[in-house]
Amino acid sequence: MKKLIQFKNIVKDFDGKLVLKGINLDIYENEFVTLLGPSGCGKTTLLRILGGFLTQNEGEVLFDGEEITKVPPYKREINTVFQKYALFPHMNVYNNIAFGLKIKKEPKDIIEQKVKRMLKLVNLEEYADRNVTEMSGGQQQRVAIARALVNEPSVLLLDEPLGALDLKLRKGMQQELKKIQQEVGITFIYVTHDQEEALTMSDKIVVMKDGEIQQIGTPTDIYNEPINQFVANFIGESNLIDGVMVEDYFVIFEDKKFKCVDFGFNPNEKVDVVIRPEDLDIVPRTEGKLKGIVKSVLFKGVHYETLVETKVGTSITVKMMVSDDRPVHNESANEKISANDFYLDMEDVEKLDEGTIVARADAQAWDPETDEFISIKEISYSIKKENGSYPVTFSTAAGTSVTVNMIVKDENRIANKEYQEEIFAVNFFKKADEIHESIALETDLKTWANASAWSLEDGTAVEITNVKYAFDPETVTPGTYNVTFATEGYEYKVDTTDRYEIGNEVGLTFQPEDIHIMSKDN
Amino acid sequence: MVKQFRNMAMPYIVWMVAIIVLPMLLIVLYAFTDKGNDVTTIRFSLENFARFFSDTVFMSVLKRSLYIAILTTVICILLGYPIAYAIASRSERSKLFWILLITLPTWINMLVRTYAWMGILQDEGVVNHLLGFLGIPPITMIHTTFAVVLGMVYNFIPFMILQIYTALTKMDKSFLEAASDLGANAVQSFLRITLPLSIPGVISGITLVFLPAVSSFFIPKLLGGGQYVLIGNVIETEFLTSGDWNFGSAISLAMAVIIMVSMYITKKVDTDPGANGRRE
Repeated sequence: MKKLIQFKNIVKDFDGKLVLKGINLDIYENEFVTLLGPSGCGKTTLLRILGGFLTQNEGEVLFDGEEITKVPPYKREINTVFQKYALFPHMNVYNNIAFGLKIKKEPKDIIEQKVKRMLKLVNLEEYADRNVTEMSGGQQQRVAIARALVNEPSVLLLDEPLGALDLKLRKGMQQELKKIQQEVGITFIYVTHDQEEALTMSDKIVVMKDGEIQQIGTPTDIYNEPINQFVANFIGESNLIDGVMVEDYFVIFEDKKFKCVDFGFNPNEKVDVVIRPEDLDIVPRTEGKLKGIVKSVLFKGVHYETLVETKVGTSITVKMMVSDDRPVHNESANEKISANDFYLDMEDVEKLDEGTIVARADAQAWDPETDEFISIKEISYSIKKENGSYPVTFSTAAGTSVTVNMIVKDENRIANKEYQEEIFAVNFFKKADEIHESIALETDLKTWANASAWSLEDGTAVEITNVKYAFDPETVTPGTYNVTFATEGYEYKVDTTDRYEIGNEVGLTFQPEDIHIMSKDN
Repeated sequence: MVKQFRNMAMPYIVWMVAIIVLPMLLIVLYAFTDKGNDVTTIRFSLENFARFFSDTVFMSVLKRSLYIAILTTVICILLGYPIAYAIASRSERSKLFWILLITLPTWINMLVRTYAWMGILQDEGVVNHLLGFLGIPPITMIHTTFAVVLGMVYNFIPFMILQIYTALTKMDKSFLEAASDLGANAVQSFLRITLPLSIPGVISGITLVFLPAVSSFFIPKLLGGGQYVLIGNVIETEFLTSGDWNFGSAISLAMAVIIMVSMYITKKVDTDPGANGRRE
């Protein structure tokens, strides 16, 4: 096959913002090429440069071996199907399609012949005299394709042509476009952000991100052997796991060694492991290569997307001391005040201020008849950076006061080497009433225990996704309870035809060829 | 809700009836009755219309009025279109500046501006003075067709420019990209896409220029002098000088009908552009 279009180091910026960072791409004759990427990745800009509507800042575009940067759009052997079709509203279907031929001053009978053939190709024979503004989106789409193809271009550019159509129509048009391309046998360059569309229609997919090409390949190549995390995530759902390539054909992840088909990595190189959801199977726990618990099940129409957790994340357990202390009632001033003891981390003593104390002690005063809050005017305490118990007194203007203890102790944090995470939480005191009244208990428990987790690599916060406790919040009585906080562990999306119950203990299995290894460098 | 809003429109409707509908009805009543009516005796007749259409003097005035109005409209299109096109193709900020410049004169009373033109065009005016410096003998401009048409074009061209400008800026720029993509150069794109799509703007511009031009009376009076009589001046004279309200009303009504018919025809052309639903 012959190279038809060559992009050589194309750079383009808009007002100083780089949208194309040196694109090199060859497109061959009769190919169906898709430029795929999220919005803002530069795919439409590249297409418009080829169409002649934009000029690149650097680099050259060769068409059939000739540089065409200075050739105006109307002299290029390229036609475009625009995103919103851009059909001429003052012309009927026939005149829209005939436009290019009339400009070329072709004889009337030839024009009529060609337009009729195009109308037949796009299945609109009955609509020649119809006003384009009266047509449906799908029909306008076909007119736009016919109007471009009638000029017999060597390349047809399509800029998200199916974006405005509904799902069902889009599926139909996808097949039709592919059929038309095979029938007329010219190069189609198709821009889309829809990965499914790209996979169904293309001979070659060019995945782009932030003005750079990530990967070029056939749909199967790109799907099965994504070159990096971005491509793997953009093309279909996938499971990404950190792993180590111990030697050719062997990878370690989740502390287990698995056989795979990849090779050519450095010994003990850290890699990303990709396993597609449809390549995983759920089996009885004893037969699984990995073991886990079903965490959620989503019905997706033809299958279930089952989430299996094979390992919980970093976790910490703290004690919750539940009391049924009554608030202090000052009858002369008709006020009530309450607060509870709380634990303080040694590290936090220095940064301690009154706002924090009020929040941690949950100190509040109110009028028992109207239930209106009364502000706490005075907070008196003294504290040292040593283990021990320090009293703090809260009082209102009317002299109603309550005293509780601040208990300072060493840090209570747990580091997890495997996940490179650290989690922190403290024991806490609570009144039974407050637990009964909580409307978002998990969030409240996190606040009360001052629970947080972060990455040891860069210090960024890690979300605590699991809060476990073994009491009934409706009926909890005074006593001591364990509360466990944990970050997210390893989870696998699995496509299954059977429905598994949440909480089922299951095993996961896969074949060596289902494991795809990606280098971390890309 | 809807009912409440309906009630709110009531004062407006009463006002409109009192100030627009009633006077119109009165004009119709006057036009079809004889002079000398009072409240008790009304004599209907077509006498006024017969007099207007049979008198050759009035007919030639009518013809001259239509001629001047059409001439003014054509000049406004020929001058206004390129100006509107030039403004529409400028950057967003400079567009605003130019549109402001075009509309600025209309902030000053039309009568005042016309008086200014009298000064400029006089035999002893600015233009002839300048010509004198260049050694060119003075030219009589005031009280000619030229002066009247100039005054009208000057006063009415902003309406034409604004209408065409709006039509041009409303047009989707992707049509031009599509035309270029299909092989049309700049001239072909203009003739086949921009021009046909801006016709509705030209049509409403025509309405806005032709209507005041055909019935204007102070521009011909000031710039045309006493001898340059147009239909607007005739109506003015009948009402203010001769005091023949019946005849004046009849002429007004006849003009109104002529204008309505011409507007109907332009509307027809507008909604049925040649290319639609037909093969060329």
